[in-house]
Amino acid sequence: MIPLLLLVMKLLFCRQSAGDEFLIRVTTNHLSLQEVMRELEDDSAGALSIFMGNVRNRGRYGNVSEIYYEAYSEMAEEKMREIENEAQTKWAIKKLVAIHRIGNLKVGETSIIIGVSSEHRNEAFEACKYIINNVKTRVPIWKKEITDESQKWTDGILLE
Amino acid sequence: MRSDIPDNDKIKVRLFANLRELVGEREITITVPGGVTVSYLNNEILNKYPQLKSFSNKFVTSVNCKVTTDDTVITSSDEIALLPPVSGG
Repeated sequence: MIPLLLLVMKLLFCRQSAGDEFLIRVTTNHLSLQEVMRELEDDSAGALSIFMGNVRNRGRYGNVSEIYYEAYSEMAEEKMREIENEAQTKWAIKKLVAIHRIGNLKVGETSIIIGVSSEHRNEAFEACKYIINNVKTRVPIWKKEITDESQKWTDGILLE
Repeated sequence: MRSDIPDNDKIKVRLFANLRELVGEREITITVPGGVTVSYLNNEILNKYPQLKSFSNKFVTSVNCKVTTDDTVITSSDEIALLPPVSGG
């Protein structure tokens, strides 16, 4: 009985359900802008801001052919939820989407989409910027740059 | 059984990115006395996997998805992970 209770507690610690207006996910699937746009649809929202992060051909270690992304998915989704809750307290957000892709991504492919809808544009712009800036520094996701000459993990920021 | 001798705990530790590659495993198991701290666990990990020693100040430890301090007491039911500097997005 006690081990079962501990397991339930662990699942609760690592996975909390998001509200209906929040879509947060770490996935190995290709990211779809159309899917994100559908999720953000809201007749009361006059503004919709989207950030897309793509793999570029020039990295820290040379000409990139692809990037390998790895995540501690359970914690990553929890941290993304935490960041989006912060954004929701700062700005009047209608709907919100944050999806990060992991695995091997080629140049030009999309690694992350952040989408925010709100009544007016300022909230959508600011919230979108806040979320991507914090995802890059607070979420346990790592990337390895693969070039013709090398495969190197990118230096990053130590979590606090 | 003598009550002053703590039982051993088998602690499972998840590894990511360069740490996972250096060890060659996604998850390792470390046997420690019951009631030890994160600091004790990390020392045991570095003794068992000396290839991680030069990275000892380049990772943090999470317990149940929260970055934690060295003096946090752990048990075998906790989900523990070593997290190198992050670089997502």
